[in-house]
Amino acid sequence: MNHFVFDPMQYGIPDREQLKDLRIWDTHYHGFLNDEDPISYNEKMMKFVSRMGVERVIALDVGGTRKVPFGSSPFDKEKRSYLQRNSANLSGIIRIDPSYPEKSMRKMEAWIEKGPCIGIKYAGFNDKGITCDHPNNNDIVQKAMSLSAIIYIHTWIKTGGSPRIPGGGNYSGESTPWHVVNLAKRFPDTVFICGHAGGDWELGVRAIRECENVFLEFCGSDPHSGSVDLAVNELGADRIVWGGHGPSRSYSTELAKVLDASISHDNRTKILGGNYRDLTRSIFKKKGLAIDP
Amino acid sequence: MTKKINRRNFCQNTLLSSAALAFPGSILGQKEVNDFPEREANKIKGDGPEIIDTYVQLFDYPFRNLKYSQTGDLINKLRKHKISEAWAGSFEHLFHKNIDLANRKLRGEVDTKGKDMLVPVGSVNLTWPDWEEDLRRCKEEYQMDIVRIFPLYQMNELSGEKFEKFVQLATRYQMLIQIVGDVEDRRHHHPLLEIRNIDFAPLVDIGKKYSKARIQLLHWNRRINKNLLGQMTGESHHMFGKNRLHGLDDKILKRLGDETNIVFDISRVEGAGEVGGLIHGDSWYGPDTKIPAERFLFGSYAPYFPVESALLKLFEYPMSESELRSIMRDNAEKLLKI
Repeated sequence: MNHFVFDPMQYGIPDREQLKDLRIWDTHYHGFLNDEDPISYNEKMMKFVSRMGVERVIALDVGGTRKVPFGSSPFDKEKRSYLQRNSANLSGIIRIDPSYPEKSMRKMEAWIEKGPCIGIKYAGFNDKGITCDHPNNNDIVQKAMSLSAIIYIHTWIKTGGSPRIPGGGNYSGESTPWHVVNLAKRFPDTVFICGHAGGDWELGVRAIRECENVFLEFCGSDPHSGSVDLAVNELGADRIVWGGHGPSRSYSTELAKVLDASISHDNRTKILGGNYRDLTRSIFKKKGLAIDP
Repeated sequence: MTKKINRRNFCQNTLLSSAALAFPGSILGQKEVNDFPEREANKIKGDGPEIIDTYVQLFDYPFRNLKYSQTGDLINKLRKHKISEAWAGSFEHLFHKNIDLANRKLRGEVDTKGKDMLVPVGSVNLTWPDWEEDLRRCKEEYQMDIVRIFPLYQMNELSGEKFEKFVQLATRYQMLIQIVGDVEDRRHHHPLLEIRNIDFAPLVDIGKKYSKARIQLLHWNRRINKNLLGQMTGESHHMFGKNRLHGLDDKILKRLGDETNIVFDISRVEGAGEVGGLIHGDSWYGPDTKIPAERFLFGSYAPYFPVESALLKLFEYPMSESELRSIMRDNAEKLLKI
């Protein structure tokens, strides 16, 4: 599984050893995103994780299900155990819902404070159509800060509405990068990850540019040449983290965004894992987890 | 969790950004600092083949200046990745009414800057009057052997008298027909742009009726489903069920596979290892049965997409040497050979 028929270096792309040397952390991993058999699904996906030399994945589909984030999934116990057994190369963040701050915080206690997970994720939809800048989020963010937890916010800027405008096509409760900025300004001492670069990265980068505690993650959209160049030039490489979004996106798509960029090897390494390691150093230490292999 | 921004880096990057704005071609297009630290190349199974890229576009996208929009820069970039031939169309084909001028300009660009590398790909817009003359000029005056259409942008249905006439004429001219699905994710379109939602299902009947027509779909997977692909490739498939990826339409995909000879590029085949997965019947989102490697051709959609995306797809799934050679070169050579 891990050997390439032809040497990728002949084709101007890194081979597996070079990928491993980059110490890639896939911070947006959907290997468990299957309600029928998430364990087998994950095992299939992990073959690609290994083949592409990824050092660690951060699973997003832990604790409940996408549809019922606070319900008890029949696989919760197994996933929790899997995370604990594989803590050397697998972490998890849990989905919260700002429609229910109290339930969200109880879930954080169960899965982060007393469990294996390292952060929270705002999904692209929620029960009451509440974006991430709503006051409901204040307690959730305070709780995350007390746990040193990662705060990841799905964002998109979908063209739509009448008249058509950027963001006018978003789902109810689906945040945009400017919602993240509104929230981040209230909490200048913590970092918020603006997920998917807002989908429309040209607008997403502009929206968060001024707010230095907002980081960019740009997985889940088509690979566009020049996107990472713009992000690095406007935000600096220190404000960018990387995700794979597999299996619905390929590592080919997501790695290509970074490999296409005219950036230094050092900056590439920061984006593909170094920056996220910096963000998680504190919670890894609290949990007694090693951040380096 | 608090992260301080390195202001020195920020300033350096900002300066680079300013320079890039002043000289977009030279800075964004030519500056290559992404080489990996040197190490000895692996000796696994010797040299791989040079690649034929069946989907490249020249010039700028109408809504964005592209990093490799200068033809010389693009050629250098492709060569760096061992791509020896690229079938090059033009972004001007999307909207220009004087599409003949766009075709002529493309021919000239290829002749002056890309003779040893680029194969010019013309286009006609069936919505504009007298497109038949544009097609004739593509073949007879500009010596183009490939015609690429963009139905969603050029507002062409893939059925009806006009489209059938186009297929007949292109086939008579012995031209390869390339049909492009999406060009840009419609969620990110400029708000003033609303494209048509063209049905690709009629291609099954077209492919069956005009079996001598050579048809390739590019950037197709938001438009085609698993069943239609099965119909096109002769494989029998189950329904997709709930696992549909980004609009991939399982019915159309299956039928295209089962019932036609239509072939596909890989530029937007999406999912972990999905190109190999489709070939091996191990797909996340496609048919459960195998689609032969002979039905897939390398296509990068450079310079809109990074070339690296399609290249990495060759390696993400453990495909055999013969499968890789088919996708990288052999299938394209056969398709263009009359």
